[in-house]
Amino acid sequence: MTALSTPGFPDGAIRARARNGTAEVFPDATTYGTRLYGPSAGALPADSLDRARIVPPVFMPQRLEKLIDLAREPEFTDVDLGSRVGGFTARLPLYLSAFGSTRAGSGDLAVHASRQAARLGIPMVIGENMIPVHGYRRAGDATRSALLARVEAYLDAAPDGAGGVVVQQSTEDADSEVWNLLYSDPAFRPLLETGRLAFELKTGQGAKPGLGGMTVVDRAEAEQLARRFTVRKVLDPEGERQLRCATPGTFTDEILRQQLRFMRNNFPKARTWVKFHPGRDIAHAARTAWSAGADAVTVDGAEGGTGWAPGVFLDHVGLPLAESLRRIGRPEGCLLAAGGMWEGGRAVRALALGATAVGLGRAALVAVDEDPEHGLERLVDSIALELRLLISALGKYTVAALAPEDLWWPDGHPSHLAPADAPPLGVTDPAGATP
Amino acid sequence: MDTPHPTGAPATPPPLGEHLRSPRLRAAMLVQQEALHAARAFLRGEGFTELLPPLVGPVTDPGGRGAKALDVDYYGHPYKLMTSAILYKQASLRGFPRLFYVAPNVRVEPEETATTGRHLVEFHQIDVEIADGSREDAQEIAAGLLTHVTEHVWTAVPEILRELGRIEGDFADIRAGKYDVRTHDDAVSALLAAGHPQNPDGEIDWAGERLLSLESDRPFFVNDYPKGSRGFYDREDPDRPGVLRNFDLIAPHGYGELVSGSEREADYATIVTRMRESGENPAKYAWYLQEARDGMPASAGFGMGLQRLVRFLTGLDALWQVSAYPKLPGVVAP
Repeated sequence: MTALSTPGFPDGAIRARARNGTAEVFPDATTYGTRLYGPSAGALPADSLDRARIVPPVFMPQRLEKLIDLAREPEFTDVDLGSRVGGFTARLPLYLSAFGSTRAGSGDLAVHASRQAARLGIPMVIGENMIPVHGYRRAGDATRSALLARVEAYLDAAPDGAGGVVVQQSTEDADSEVWNLLYSDPAFRPLLETGRLAFELKTGQGAKPGLGGMTVVDRAEAEQLARRFTVRKVLDPEGERQLRCATPGTFTDEILRQQLRFMRNNFPKARTWVKFHPGRDIAHAARTAWSAGADAVTVDGAEGGTGWAPGVFLDHVGLPLAESLRRIGRPEGCLLAAGGMWEGGRAVRALALGATAVGLGRAALVAVDEDPEHGLERLVDSIALELRLLISALGKYTVAALAPEDLWWPDGHPSHLAPADAPPLGVTDPAGATP
Repeated sequence: MDTPHPTGAPATPPPLGEHLRSPRLRAAMLVQQEALHAARAFLRGEGFTELLPPLVGPVTDPGGRGAKALDVDYYGHPYKLMTSAILYKQASLRGFPRLFYVAPNVRVEPEETATTGRHLVEFHQIDVEIADGSREDAQEIAAGLLTHVTEHVWTAVPEILRELGRIEGDFADIRAGKYDVRTHDDAVSALLAAGHPQNPDGEIDWAGERLLSLESDRPFFVNDYPKGSRGFYDREDPDRPGVLRNFDLIAPHGYGELVSGSEREADYATIVTRMRESGENPAKYAWYLQEARDGMPASAGFGMGLQRLVRFLTGLDALWQVSAYPKLPGVVAP
């Protein structure tokens, strides 16, 4: 375990799951019979998504269907968590989010997380700015970059036919031709040949909507990077530590549409993903991406991000994930949601609001920090168990069967105020609709 | 005319020394020499000036289809080897309103192109640009160039072509200047009808292009590729948003694309916007954008792949057989 800390995030609970896995889904079993349990103190919801309660019905026609199918009473272990995530086959409705080029996200922890994501059979996203910052393969000594180390770790451990690797490219990456570089690199051949490579067009991020990537660099790094990035002395007067900024890139709906077509044209064997920050026009953006052929649209709620960001952005900018999902309404394609995910309850809420899968970012880093060998696997095991418990409790047995009817908003979540141009959410029984 | 005929050659080149000693390469180089001679004579006769192209620069043609430019450390600045000198052609127009290069290009093509028979990492283009030209002007020059070169090689070295198995009568349409024209839309429909899964928003893929080429007995132009399939410099049709004023020239009988060309975008703001649409960072094109701001002439032009032309004339299977120093995609060669 290192000194990695995550203020405002349930660090202790994640570390406990990384140590103990599914045991942490439950209260301490040794206290059974000696303690009365209730909601934990200070468990105030982080955002409106967490205010929704998951509400099983009494009558469960889908459970009857499963009963007929199985010729026995269905159990929570009968829930099928297998999903198609952005054109990949995933064993769970989860993926490993991008960590970016920050120090915490590009060292050994990221390699450990990659290996475990592969063993779990879930896709992995590798963040932008890895190559302009860390290099790829230095001429002469064939030193492998952070990016290649992660891909190799993933390939070594990935089961046949499951998972996939997704690589982002920012404006600065485009100068380094990251996608072209990878697409013609023999190291990526095993991924291309098995249909397990995707490129993700990143238009923004949850932690700082409207801004590009930011990291802190020392004076020497600052000088080295100054030609490719904006580097500013805003952290101390002498510039011992400096702020390195990437540009967010300019997008209109036509620019997005054409960039996606360009990706599909240039890299026909790679899947095409798009990541949006939680912008107020997120529904328009998502529809534009799907109609241009994107295999997945990732929405990073304002709760998301592992990276460095100005405090005013962390606390005040961007739509919460719940509102982003509400504005999108019924997705016209694969929708991926990230931001503050670490346990099954929030994941089920996001899935019920239309997501196909949810991303683990900070939580994955904390878990591998707790136990580099198996921390992420145990954390995911615990989430998978909760998903099975929750989905079966709703009388459903696949992830895709989840719907907004499975949630109740105590303070009148505005989901019934769906945008006029959005199709109605998948509510079949008006009596079960959200209030 | 037959399809590329099997010559019993391996799919990849033999060791370089052996390749350079082979009679087949010698025959191909004699045809290439005549083709270059005829191309220069034709273009000079049409009022074009030959310039020698640059080899490296801060930016090059961003191109498409997954190829990568090679990086060069240029006094500490990240430079690229030319994938094509299109940007320099446009910049030259005010001094040279009709110009051409015989330009060496380097593209690190994806490995999947190693087996098309039509890709080399190092290749040459006969690169033509016409100030204030239209697509039709460019197509007329491209067709005239192919006709003239074909006429010349059948006059100058007919015995070499016959020894390689070529039949003179099969080139009658080209020598008579008969070319067909179809649109990208029409090509996509034909491929989909034939059961080929062609992406309607993109480039005609290698297999699709081969199918179209095999079905045809004479060369044909494909016009109107969709935006998103080509570089930012191909001009969008002002009357049909999303459609480019561009073309390919496809050789018949499976030999495939010989030429890509287009009218060019010359308007500064349109170029910047189109750069974003193709995911490019305008900042790195500073010198070119300054030229555009200062007023670059509208133009049309094309590049004719020299090795593809020679392969078509000689009827050999693969591009490496008509290159003295072939480098196949993904194959490390001297």
